[in-house]
Amino acid sequence: MDPLAAIRDIFFQECEEQLAELESGLLSMEEGDQDPETINAVFRAVHSIKGGAGAFSLEALIRFAHVFETAMDEVRSGRLAPSSEVLKTMLRAADVLADLVRAARGNEPGDDPRAAALAEELKALSGVTGDDETEEDWGEFEFQPQQASFDGPETAPQTGYMVKFRPRADLYAKANEAALLLRELSRLGEAQIQLHADDVPLLADLAPEASYLAWTVTLIGDVDETTVREVFEFVDGDCELEVEPIGGATPAAGGDEGGGFDLSALLARVQGDGAAIVTTDLDAAPETAPEPVVSVAIKPSPPAAPAPVVPITRAATAQAEAPADTQAGAGGPRKAEVAATIRVDLERVDRMIDLVGELVINQAVLAQRVMEAGLARASAVAVGLDELEQLTREIQDSVMAIRAQPVKSVFQRMPRLVREVAAMTGKPVRLVTEGEGTEVDKTVIERIADPLTHMIRNAIDHGLESPEKRAAAGKPAEGVVRLSAAHRSGRIVIEVADDGAGINRERVKAIAIERGLIAPEATLSDEEIDNLIFMAGFSTASEVSEVSGRGVGMDVVRRSIQALGGRINITSKPGKGSIFTMSLPLTLAVLDGMVVSVQDQTLVAPITAIVETLQPKAEDVHSLGGHARVISIRGGFVPLIDVGMALGYRAEPLLATQGVALLIEGEGGARAALLVDAIQGQRQVVIKSLEANYRQVPGVAAATILGDGRVALILDIDTIVAVSRGEMRKAG
Amino acid sequence: MSITVLTVDDSRTMREMLRLALSDAGFRVVQAEDGIHGLEVLAAESPQVIVTDINMPRMDGFGFIEEVRSDARHRVIPILVLTTESDVEKKNRARMAGATGWIVKPFNPDKLVEAIRRVAA
Amino acid sequence: MTQTTQHATGGLRELISFRIGAQEFCVDIMSIREIRGWTAATALPQSPSYVKGVINLRGAVLPIVDLAARLGFESTEVNDRNVIIVADIGGQVVGLLVDAVSDILTVTDDVIQPTPDVASETAKTFVRGLIAMDGRMISLIGLERVLPELEQEAA
Repeated sequence: MDPLAAIRDIFFQECEEQLAELESGLLSMEEGDQDPETINAVFRAVHSIKGGAGAFSLEALIRFAHVFETAMDEVRSGRLAPSSEVLKTMLRAADVLADLVRAARGNEPGDDPRAAALAEELKALSGVTGDDETEEDWGEFEFQPQQASFDGPETAPQTGYMVKFRPRADLYAKANEAALLLRELSRLGEAQIQLHADDVPLLADLAPEASYLAWTVTLIGDVDETTVREVFEFVDGDCELEVEPIGGATPAAGGDEGGGFDLSALLARVQGDGAAIVTTDLDAAPETAPEPVVSVAIKPSPPAAPAPVVPITRAATAQAEAPADTQAGAGGPRKAEVAATIRVDLERVDRMIDLVGELVINQAVLAQRVMEAGLARASAVAVGLDELEQLTREIQDSVMAIRAQPVKSVFQRMPRLVREVAAMTGKPVRLVTEGEGTEVDKTVIERIADPLTHMIRNAIDHGLESPEKRAAAGKPAEGVVRLSAAHRSGRIVIEVADDGAGINRERVKAIAIERGLIAPEATLSDEEIDNLIFMAGFSTASEVSEVSGRGVGMDVVRRSIQALGGRINITSKPGKGSIFTMSLPLTLAVLDGMVVSVQDQTLVAPITAIVETLQPKAEDVHSLGGHARVISIRGGFVPLIDVGMALGYRAEPLLATQGVALLIEGEGGARAALLVDAIQGQRQVVIKSLEANYRQVPGVAAATILGDGRVALILDIDTIVAVSRGEMRKAG
Repeated sequence: MSITVLTVDDSRTMREMLRLALSDAGFRVVQAEDGIHGLEVLAAESPQVIVTDINMPRMDGFGFIEEVRSDARHRVIPILVLTTESDVEKKNRARMAGATGWIVKPFNPDKLVEAIRRVAA
Repeated sequence: MTQTTQHATGGLRELISFRIGAQEFCVDIMSIREIRGWTAATALPQSPSYVKGVINLRGAVLPIVDLAARLGFESTEVNDRNVIIVADIGGQVVGLLVDAVSDILTVTDDVIQPTPDVASETAKTFVRGLIAMDGRMISLIGLERVLPELEQEAA
């Protein structure tokens, strides 16, 4: 990749990190955080985005970031109090900034009117009126020659200059070098350099860090004065400098004043002088008193420098001092708290996970061979193998942990969503998040963002009542949506709770009947009614509001959670609100499976889908015609699906009483019983893709390799149930 | 022998921009993410020139320059600060802390290299 | 796109030849990863009959294609003497079940004669050319369409 393009990628990655930092900082300020470091971090985030945008000439982004930064700086400097109103504006500005970043990334035009409107609000906060300030400032972000930094009036090229240069001790204290400056100057044309060493005291009186030398340079060349002065740009204020044009003059003949040297000799000489000063510097015992602070700032600038700089500089310097000091002071002790991290290519981690997966399989194969060889469980080999298994598991867990990330990265996208949906619905909402540090596999994190977005949108749009209704119900006008994550028995549980009205069961049931999802006479428990909202076809176009729109129903949410090996359900209390709970595996690389036999095949069913296993009794199984059967479980009927038939492993159904039924909960909360020949046991299996070398196979979610080294297929329960359901409908 | 330049900047983008510009010009580049990290790298790498940002977490550029200058061994290392044109006060504060010169962001790679050559012996 | 075209201009190429029934076939050695003995495959539901299933090759799951059946001959009656040619087909690793590997041939491109027009649909799909050698005829096959086409998935 072209290196600039690579840096551009880095820039946008970094922007995402900074946007996250920005938002969480602002939110934390909104909750009353007044730590200067928080404010600084927020400022820095905007500042860095602006800086990078400048490097890539992303004009719209630069413009907005600049206005934002200016406003942020007001807060940082204490001139603008971070009131709730101010922070709300800043949060919206952060949203706009995020949009501008994304637009810039995709080379798309941003939402200019929105950015412009917010820029005006920000300017109002900073007390900036009109465009003059900003317009003027854009120039600095272009790739301009650095001459611009010396903003004196244009000077016409002259043929010669007399440069008088007397460094002060400060010049050397800042690691500038008279010799280098003279070298630079002599590059501009033909230079005659005179050294004035008259002030050098006797050695005994010589202060190691003082400055005693001065030079007069006669420079002949076609350069303008600005260029000449620019050589001394860095030492401005640390030296006495006079630059006088010599109109049409030829260089003064060397030796006129008796002190002249030829250039090379002089350079050698001054270089030597410089070196001498440097050497004394190193052994320096006495600390030279620094020049009084103010004198540097208010030192009369060369004629070309802008005059108004002086007072501003003084004030701002004094003001900026304090926070920086605390920051520097805090820097030291905090050092130890920062955990060392390294960035690793994800591919390397995945390769390692693969290898560990193979190690787990090999270990299992070996264990099985040892068993088959008839070695006693207490034999040294068997005991060693047990230890190996333990170790392998630990390695696997550690490697998986590398891919684990806190859910924070997804959670922190939600405040913005809440703000937007709140604005759209006119419902004041407070989002409370908990357990942001809870870790889960990176892929899981990436894939829960969409379902989570939908659930939160849904919680505000459908869950929370209007402020008027809330007031009537004696609730505070502001609704609360609580988003939390926690680890529970080897899985991550994420909840989205609202304090709204709860599920309107009458209405849900009516809709389900109307849409033919349940029979009108069906008797359902409250829990069953609540879970109807997950059924495909429950939410239809007429149900879609502007907010929850996009034609996505809760069935899609449920499907995407299930595709991750997760489950979702809802509990609701009328008048109190609803809680959506999803439980997900911590990793997508392994799965807890129930190993079963079907015909002569070994298959794995994901344990998360299995509610219970049971031995069908002849009297519980009823035929519906064809091969369709149902089994009665505690008074209810569920379809009985012969897995061997469903997968085409056998043509004639297994006698139900000869097999074992796995009661599973499939899509929409509907239950089914999967009939298999026998259960071999439960174990954790490493998930292997079928698509990598083949393609997707209906009814099969993935493959794994068992202890005997053979491939076993992992069942895609939802597909099997869906297909069988379709067939049952035909049969019935 | 190529000149080693230590760049101190909390932005990865900036660090990479600096690295690209400087290594293209034949400098050896060592990087640090903030002032504290910069001091660590400084101790390990003995660079001939330092280029540092100002606003950084943990230890900012001012603190960093002061720390560098307070160590007798590092008094003569030229330090250039990255600053924007409008930051006159920052420039002056950095100089008070002991900065040798400054580089205006966004920097022009040629000007950056020129500035480094100007201060590097 | 395919190994065959990739080498079409070059001089020498190496081919692995094998028998299916009484006929001889060969494939470009460039696409072959390894040759290994037969191990029982795990059957895949909803797959064409020439897909024997999947096996574990050092932790990777790869499909086994009965090449005889794929080329329109009778399905292979698998026994321990059968071998699996592991081939890389466009980034997918696939095992090809054949009776036996007979030879490695080094031929120049001009030895490969175009497939006559009379050939069957199967031949058009797979046969890239014919090689006459020591009185035998060997068909050079292209592997890129060995796996089932996506359209067939619907069936």
